[in-house]
Order: sequence, then structure tokens, then C-alpha cells
Amino acid sequence: MTEKEKLALLEDLLEIEEGTLNAETNLDEIEEYDSMTKLSLIVMAEDEFGVKLDSATLKGFKTVGDILAVLNK
Amino acid sequence: MINNTIRGIKISSICAAVPDNLVTLEDCAESEIKNNEFNIAKYKKSTGVSEKYLCIKQQAPSDLCVYAAEKIITEKNIDRSEIGVIVYVTLSPDYRNPATACVMQYRLGLSSSCIAFDMNMGCSGFGYGLNVISSLLATSNSSKALLLCGELAGQTPARKYKDLSDYYLFGDAGSAILLEKTGSEKDSLTIYSASDGSGFKSIITYGGYVRHAEAPIESKMDGVEVFNFAVDKAPEMIKAYMNDMGTTPDDYDKLVLHQANLYIMKQIAKRTGFPLDKMAVSIDKFGNTSSASIPLTIANDYGKDDSDSTKRFLTCGFGVGLSWAAVEFTISTKDVFPVIYTNEWFNDGFTEGC
Repeated sequence: MTEKEKLALLEDLLEIEEGTLNAETNLDEIEEYDSMTKLSLIVMAEDEFGVKLDSATLKGFKTVGDILAVLNK
Repeated sequence: MINNTIRGIKISSICAAVPDNLVTLEDCAESEIKNNEFNIAKYKKSTGVSEKYLCIKQQAPSDLCVYAAEKIITEKNIDRSEIGVIVYVTLSPDYRNPATACVMQYRLGLSSSCIAFDMNMGCSGFGYGLNVISSLLATSNSSKALLLCGELAGQTPARKYKDLSDYYLFGDAGSAILLEKTGSEKDSLTIYSASDGSGFKSIITYGGYVRHAEAPIESKMDGVEVFNFAVDKAPEMIKAYMNDMGTTPDDYDKLVLHQANLYIMKQIAKRTGFPLDKMAVSIDKFGNTSSASIPLTIANDYGKDDSDSTKRFLTCGFGVGLSWAAVEFTISTKDVFPVIYTNEWFNDGFTEGC
């Protein structure tokens, strides 16, 4: 999966407009990135990428790029 | 996981009660915590919670359980002297001591030869409580037992949540389940139980008690860890249960999960092959009511059904401990009472703090 496709998945999950995100986007600046969205991210990471995200990993995410880095397929 | 099968025991009645004090999420936002940033619409959609019922100031969840138990005893014309075991599952007992179950035994007018004690269990408490009480009943000289599951989850000094998403989630409720010894081989309860104490910090209230007596009484929950635990362990146990019982989702009328959070419940249903229309939902009306949520959900769905049809439920509770338990049973809809709404409370004679 290309980075562009991963970004599209994240934008879909966050219910924000396509093309809004890039790897440098700071997660603190995304209003939609809340506690419930994090649970959706966990499900998406496991279902789409076979990656299990724990609490410590999620807390370590600062930018969209940090998320993209663990979503390897 | 530990598997127990207790033979010759059946669940013969279910009743649940909530305070007659409806609180909507909008009420919470307006009157209790000011936070205009909080997106109530989004929260409702994801957690499923729209409203809940909270105890009035003097009320304890034990009052709700006693009211529900009294309803069963009265309506079913139960001989109180035949009830030999009463177990109260709660994280919010009336007192540090004695066990609230002893007070409930007195309030319900049960025999003084009754076994009465509390169990400190939360969201898995229905299955854990059934396991303990049915085992005791089966090996006793008594013919009936009362399992009471109640929680003051929505409001208490111990629930001053700093995380708004947790604060909005919980409601208060009490339930009563009457068990009877039939001696019949066709009446048996098979209960799967497990615990993982390595996750004890995932849901914890550690202040104000023995180890941290001076610390503030606050509940803490690591939502991500609890989510990962729930969507991993609950499906694993449910699938093992069905595999061992030789059943599929088609064999059950409803999957009745602990009403943790609608998103978690949907994930569990999806991972166990249950279509969403077979998953019972009451979290929209009552919030997360801990150990009371499974019987409350059954009462909400079937309490007004007087068709006298037998329903087969597969239930699974999961949460604080961490702990989880699954059990299936059948019950006639005529033995399930409608949800009671009451503000009755027990005046124990103490006036301090009331």
C-alpha cells in the first residue's frame, strides 16, 4: 500500500476531507483525532495491516507520519 | 480459562431496576461538566449512550437490587425461607463493612440461616456471580438462591472521572436473579471464567483504601488497553464456548454482552459471527451499568413480552480485574420482569452525610 493510500485510509477513518493530511501533520492539530477515533485506528491497523497497537504505541504517536510508519503491509 | 458445569440448577427469574432519575448526555454537559469542545453527537454514535439513570442522593444500588428481588419474591410467591444463598456482586457496597448482602438478607426478610456475602467484581460479575452462587446452591441443602448485581457506576465520589469520555459512559442499576435447584439433568449452567491480573491498572480505583489511604478516590481507566483486552479475550472465550457446546450463533436468540460501549460490542459480535440484529443493546438507554448490564438488558428486551416463549441467551461480561466470563442459559419470557424505575431507598438510621 502506498503512502497516499494509507493517508486516504486515515482521512476516511477521521472523516475529514481527502488531501488534508500529510506525514508532517501534527496529531494535536487534528480535532477529530480523539479517544474513540483511536479505537477505530486500532481496529483498522489490525484488520488492514495485521498490526496490533497498544496504549504505549498510541501515546507515542506525535505526527501522522508516526502512524504511517507502523502501518506496513 | 476455567470451565464449570453446575447440574440441576436453573435461572428461574430475572428482574432489574434503575433509579427514576433520567439524565441525558445533554444534561450532563449542561449541569455537571462544562466543556463545549466535547462532541456529544459523535460520542453518542460511537459509544451508543444517549441517556442513563442515576441514583438520587440517598440511594444505593443495593436499594435497586432489593426492590428487584422483592418484585420476584412477591410476584412469584416465593417462600422466603427457601432462599439459602444471597450474593451481592458490586464495586460499590453500602459500607466498608459489613457485607451489604447481610443487610439485604435482613431487608428481604430471608432466613438467618442464609449464606450472605459480597463479591468485588465489576463488568464480568454476572458470570462470576452465577458461578459462585450456583455452585453453592448445588452443594447446599437449600433450594433457592438470589444473585444480586448492582452498581453505582454513574455518580459517586469514586467516579470523578477526569476523562470526559468515561464520565459520560456510566449509569446506575441493580438486578436480581433467582436460581432454583431442580435436580433435573436438563437444567445445568456451564460457565467459562478467566482473569488476567497483569492488567489490574487498566481499570482501577486505588485511592482511599488500605494501600493508598491518603490518595484521592478516583477511578482510572486506560481505554485503549481495555479495548484491546475486550475485543481480544471476549471473542476468544465466546468462540471457545460455542465450539465446546457444539453451537453456532444460529442456536441463540440473542448475544447479550456486557454493555461496555457500542463500538466494543459491535467488534465482539463481528469477531464471533453474530449478526448485529442478534446482539442485544440497552446501552443507549442505561449507559454502562457494570455487572447489572446483562440482566438489565434482558429485562429491557423481554420484560414486557408475555408470550411465554423460551429464549436462549449467550452472555459474556468483561472488564475490571481484568476478568471475563461467559455463560449461556434459557429462560421463559414470562419469568423476565419489566425494568422497574424507583427512587426508593433504605433509611439505615445513620444521618451523617445524607
